[in-house]
Amino acid sequence: MIVDMSAYLGHWPFRRLRHNTADGLLALMDRAGIDMACTSSAGAIFYKNSQAGNEELAEQIAPHRDRLIPFAVINPTYADWEHDLAVCADELGARGLRLYPNYHNYSLADACCNELIAAAADRDLVVSIPVRQIDQRQRHWLIEVPDVALHDLAALVARHPGARFVFLNGLNFVSSPLGSADDDLPDNYAIGISRLSAVMQAEIKQLLETLGTDRVVFATGMPFKYPEPALLKVEVLDAAEEEKQAILAGNALRLLGMDAD
Amino acid sequence: MVIDAHAHLAWRAEGGDWEERDRALIDAADRLGIDRLCCSILTPARPSDPDGFRQANDWVADGMARYPDHVLGYCYVNPGHGREALAEIRHRIEDDGFIGVKLYNEYRCHEPVVWPVVELCIELGVPILHHAGHSHYYVEAQPRMSDGGMIAELANRYPEAMIICGHIGGGGDWEWTIEALRHAPTAFLDTSGSVIDEGMIEMAVDVLGADRLLFACDMSMTAGVGKIRGARISDDDRRKILGGNMERILARRGEAR
Repeated sequence: MIVDMSAYLGHWPFRRLRHNTADGLLALMDRAGIDMACTSSAGAIFYKNSQAGNEELAEQIAPHRDRLIPFAVINPTYADWEHDLAVCADELGARGLRLYPNYHNYSLADACCNELIAAAADRDLVVSIPVRQIDQRQRHWLIEVPDVALHDLAALVARHPGARFVFLNGLNFVSSPLGSADDDLPDNYAIGISRLSAVMQAEIKQLLETLGTDRVVFATGMPFKYPEPALLKVEVLDAAEEEKQAILAGNALRLLGMDAD
Repeated sequence: MVIDAHAHLAWRAEGGDWEERDRALIDAADRLGIDRLCCSILTPARPSDPDGFRQANDWVADGMARYPDHVLGYCYVNPGHGREALAEIRHRIEDDGFIGVKLYNEYRCHEPVVWPVVELCIELGVPILHHAGHSHYYVEAQPRMSDGGMIAELANRYPEAMIICGHIGGGGDWEWTIEALRHAPTAFLDTSGSVIDEGMIEMAVDVLGADRLLFACDMSMTAGVGKIRGARISDDDRRKILGGNMERILARRGEAR
């Protein structure tokens, strides 16, 4: 089984995405052999009211809830996000959140963000945070959105030991406290592999050694990205078969509370 | 035959881990099914001077000797050092078996200072791999970076040359680059870079044709192989991109003699 922690549906304003409908994404998953995907709305990143994107997502994936797992984009600076969170968790079936502090103009240290994280923890929702959505070099001329700083993520996990986090589309964790065996951060976060190296610098292998086998998860970023490079990373990874299985599915299922489903 | 058209060996800084890094590249190539790596070394300080690019090329020659089954060499020069650059290219191609020339960002590729290098490469029958990228902001660190439009201008000025536009996935807006190369039918585009946007390879095949695309990684190894594996293109096109086109380029050296 393969579970992707990082998939998207909907439109991106600056590039036409293919396979960005539920049927399209499922076809892409079938082609790549991916069974399930944690999916959020790409449009919700830019909608002022992200909840509209969450509703679009819920409609699209309703017939496919066995394979597409909804993650809600919540902006804690927007009016009555608490209501949106409750609707996403209680009615739309969200198993996790996606946060975009630098697109939504807040800091991870802001009080509103801490309130959101606490509320997510109360509801046992996984909080996923993409370090970046696209490569900076190909940004549109209208906007510049910096990457989320790894030291801010490290401070976040320390502030919320009872929450569970997944960090997506980042790299160089091994050079930060998040990837260090010596740091006393809580073990409440996992790291997605989409930009991590499997060969040469071999960051995935290093993280398996420093954090443990249960802290690295499969993530592609499809349909922004081809899913095959992430699959290839696991294929060529210098690791035991059971470690690869943990990365491909076991760790994600446990995070999502679906390991006993 | 799978040929990575854009790779680098490590600069051998004193006390550095270059040997380990070169070995890791060869190991990665073996694990990913890459038969040949077309490698250059760039000087860490640029613009490079003749001592610097000669040193870099000495180490490439040594890498070719260490890994004869894997490494093919590009000769790196700064075209601003005209006489020394041309002598270095001729020496490396004719005496040391290098397969082409690597140009970086000391000059934009369509500036007249680059033309003698292109003319020599035509004479020798070897390609030029040119660093390139197009972002929609001023790239402060690279004021003279070339882009696909400049590559197209150079290729149309010298249609008999084999100009390779570097890293579609490492240089900003790849859709812009593909469009910019559309009307330069003799220019090639390498597929390297860490960006693995879905649809990138398919658009390049649609607009430019598979004959003009060269598989490459530029050290982003699983990205390089994975995007070709993931692209919805014909098996015939995939074979051309993975090595067939580069083999045709390498064969033109023999025709030039």
